[in-house]
Amino acid sequence: MTTVARGARRRATAAPPALTAAQTRWIGAMIVCAQLPQAPHLPWWIAGFGIALVGLRFVLLRRDRARPGAPARIPSWTLVLFAVAAALAVRASYGYLVGRDPSVAFLYILIAIKFLEARTVRDGSVLVALVSFLLVTPFFHGQSPVAALAALPALLVLGATLDALARPADSPFAAAPRAAILRTARLFVQGIPIAALMFVLFPRIAGPLWGVPFEAGATTGLSDSMAPGSISELSLSDAVAFRVDFDGAVPPPAQRYWRGPVLSRFDGRAWTMAPRTAPGTLARFGAGGLAYTVTLEPHGKPWLFALELPASLPDPSGGGEDEPPARGYAFVSSDQQLLARVPVTQVLRYRQLSMLRDAFPEAERGEGADFLRLPSRGNPRTMELGRDLRARGGSDAAVVAAALAWFRAEPFFYTLMPPLAERDPVDAFLFDTRRGFCEHFAGAFVVMMRAAGVPARVVTGYQGGEWNPRGGYLIVRQSDAHAWAEVLVDGTWRRVDPTATVAPSRIEMGLSYAMADTEPVPLFARLDSGWLKTSQLALDALNHAWRTHVVGFNRERQRKLWRDVGIDRFAGWQLAALAAALGVAWAGIALGLIGLRRATLDRERALWSQACTRLAQAGLPRQPHEGPIAYAARASRRWPQFAIAFSAIAESYATLRYGPPRTRPGERDALVATLARAIDVLPAAGDLRSAAS
Amino acid sequence: MSVRPASQVVSVAQRAQAILRELSRIVVGKDDTLKLALACMIARGHLLIEDIPGVGKSTLAQALASALGLRYARIQFTSDLLPADVLGVSIYDERASAFRFHAGPIFHSVVLADEINRAPPKTQSALLEAMEERQVSIDGETRRLPEPFFVIATQNPVEQIGAYPLPESQLDRFLMALELGYPDPAAERELLAGGDRRARIADLSPLADAATLAEWQREAAALHVAPALLDYVQALLAASRGHPGATPTMDAGARRGLSPRAGLMLLNAARAWALVGGRPMVLPEDVQAVFPAVAGHRLAGGARAGALSAVALLRAVPLP
Repeated sequence: MTTVARGARRRATAAPPALTAAQTRWIGAMIVCAQLPQAPHLPWWIAGFGIALVGLRFVLLRRDRARPGAPARIPSWTLVLFAVAAALAVRASYGYLVGRDPSVAFLYILIAIKFLEARTVRDGSVLVALVSFLLVTPFFHGQSPVAALAALPALLVLGATLDALARPADSPFAAAPRAAILRTARLFVQGIPIAALMFVLFPRIAGPLWGVPFEAGATTGLSDSMAPGSISELSLSDAVAFRVDFDGAVPPPAQRYWRGPVLSRFDGRAWTMAPRTAPGTLARFGAGGLAYTVTLEPHGKPWLFALELPASLPDPSGGGEDEPPARGYAFVSSDQQLLARVPVTQVLRYRQLSMLRDAFPEAERGEGADFLRLPSRGNPRTMELGRDLRARGGSDAAVVAAALAWFRAEPFFYTLMPPLAERDPVDAFLFDTRRGFCEHFAGAFVVMMRAAGVPARVVTGYQGGEWNPRGGYLIVRQSDAHAWAEVLVDGTWRRVDPTATVAPSRIEMGLSYAMADTEPVPLFARLDSGWLKTSQLALDALNHAWRTHVVGFNRERQRKLWRDVGIDRFAGWQLAALAAALGVAWAGIALGLIGLRRATLDRERALWSQACTRLAQAGLPRQPHEGPIAYAARASRRWPQFAIAFSAIAESYATLRYGPPRTRPGERDALVATLARAIDVLPAAGDLRSAAS
Repeated sequence: MSVRPASQVVSVAQRAQAILRELSRIVVGKDDTLKLALACMIARGHLLIEDIPGVGKSTLAQALASALGLRYARIQFTSDLLPADVLGVSIYDERASAFRFHAGPIFHSVVLADEINRAPPKTQSALLEAMEERQVSIDGETRRLPEPFFVIATQNPVEQIGAYPLPESQLDRFLMALELGYPDPAAERELLAGGDRRARIADLSPLADAATLAEWQREAAALHVAPALLDYVQALLAASRGHPGATPTMDAGARRGLSPRAGLMLLNAARAWALVGGRPMVLPEDVQAVFPAVAGHRLAGGARAGALSAVALLRAVPLP
């Protein structure tokens, strides 16, 4: 930051240079451009207040112009007041002050306040640095291409502001706004190769260098409990849960059960996870298995999703097939859940193997007893029904079949807006309302099974997903959230989906097909054709490509790329040296292309200054304003014996520099040669000095 | 812009030198002023001479006209001079029963407007308008002035009582402002010994004609100006406008600054100067030679102070 350095040096000698009106306007524009991408992530009043403070400075600027000589100043105690008020308001709005979002909000306001009191060029430089930081903060909320695009105007204005700070408007080198923006854009474009080079070559660190702070509760996703209404609420969201690239064929929708949290505890109303999960064993990968890559959006919970049944452990830090998967990141629990050891707070990409099965053996003999527990009281009619089923059926398998048959026979209705019962919700659902979403069906089915003495549990996750023909991948949204049941029959856990019995189209085709038009199905889940859908899919494909290739370019992908092009043999310092060399080479090319032209154009200038230097050393320096002919005449008066050489030098130089462009080939070179020869004729400076009369 | 062969430029220079030699026999010891006056003419500009009477202003004008073979007229400006006295008037001719235009003295190629500041502004502006437009509109009829058309106006700086000094905007119409000044002792001696100069003008044989001068004017306008020279002219203009850093030592008198038109005129004058000097291109030296004459009266403080600050400006702006 040369401006800062210069500011510091000047301060030692004189008053710091004040900001001109034009510079102030640039800084204001820069701040607003940086505020706008962040504004949607802030409470509306903070967003508005910050922009209004910048606007206030512009109002003051107008007043200054109307009354020159008396610049409007905001008393500093007001600014302190502003800052304290902002801190209190942010605290009140978020409930806490130390944390990612309130800190960003506070920074947002403080930058605007700093702008109000900015007077010197040094203040301007500080603001540029602060704004650079503010520009990063929208990426906390998502590193989409849209977020990157939104930062672009601010970057351009920031560059132009630096330009304006370095060259005040009253200097003869000041650029018009358009020119400043264009110059910045040109600099950025010139920088792209270096940035791309660093992107590829700068060693990625296994973990994030500085993790993007994650605010809990900021995102949607499956939780560790399921109460009536929780999944139907989730189904109202269009948000993407994860995207999947399949290596081979894509399984049909009915087989796409993405296993998530397994819930085995019931308190009469809500289902929760077992507090401790023992490690389990993975299914063996074999013929008929699927290989795919999941790009998981951050959801703040440790679950990872895979098709039933997972046959490998997700390992985002070890992607290569030929590398043994690291054991550290994730593990599989005894109920076949994939769990990360830390919550997923960043976009996660992992390779996954699965075997498409709906049954697997129990983890240990006799574990079924744990999956029979029910609250001692409540839902009496369901208990009664369970006992009834057991009495009629006999074997466990027969009980399950009888229960499904019962669901089929009774008039159940699949809806996103079921009525909520206060007491005995399972009874109310099964016998009174008979309207429910998948969580009601799955939950009630498991209660029925347990009442009938068949071990059972609820599995939540996602079911189905939308195929994006644009990018050739599967989009799984929150609206695909689903809950189903698992029963333990003869030592084998089997998937049973009562929703499929009641509303088969939900499983076969997706939520929107299973729902009446009046249901509040999210827009993108409802659409099945038309330009909006097409463009939405295209945009999502772009997003996915960005996720995969830019945001998801981690250490392993980098390593793989290095392996592919064969630069992985080099040590880190060698790579750094290579990157530096390539960067310097590019800078050299960019500068050299300009310099090369200038060099050929300006050989006469170099020769001329060589002659001038020699004469200056001989005691006759050229006046700065002195033209070549006048200088030669003066030199000829001092050294008449060299008058011919002087006039040859001056005239060939003047012709080269001020003459009409030489069109004939070689003419220019001949003149340069004349100039060089004439300079050769001149004796050395010392001889000239002694030759002077 | 076509590139003129150097030989042609040289022949112009040789003929110009011959003219200047002849002139210097009449206007003694004023070689630079004569050359500037000739350059001013070749640049299609007009000349303002600010000086006391008796230093040879009208002699210069008359000699210049004679040497170039141009028609010459002199208008002595007085406080009762009317525009019609300068431009001409339409008089009813009984015999032809029609108005006939009697051309005023302005319809000459070289016009000496003597003591222009003694005429009322109305008459002044009639002259200045004609200078700018190179045509005269009388009774709704537009009449073109002869080509070439060159006005030498003189202003007496001493006698300012009852005078109407030219406003600054009118001064801008003159390409150059010069001072003749007293001759140096040697020249004065020659002058005193040589007898009446006016008589010699009659002996002067014309060395050129209107067509030749027009040709020279075209050649001057076509002279090459390199980007490097434009850089220099721009630096001079910027310095005259008082940019900090550009001219740290510039005196405060030059604060008014030169207009873009002044820059254009400066280039024209420098081109003409280069042509007279026999160069196929314009050098910074050419710009420097004409700069005090071109910029002086456009900078604040009058021609004399302006020329001084113009010289200071030249010293302060390095060649780019």
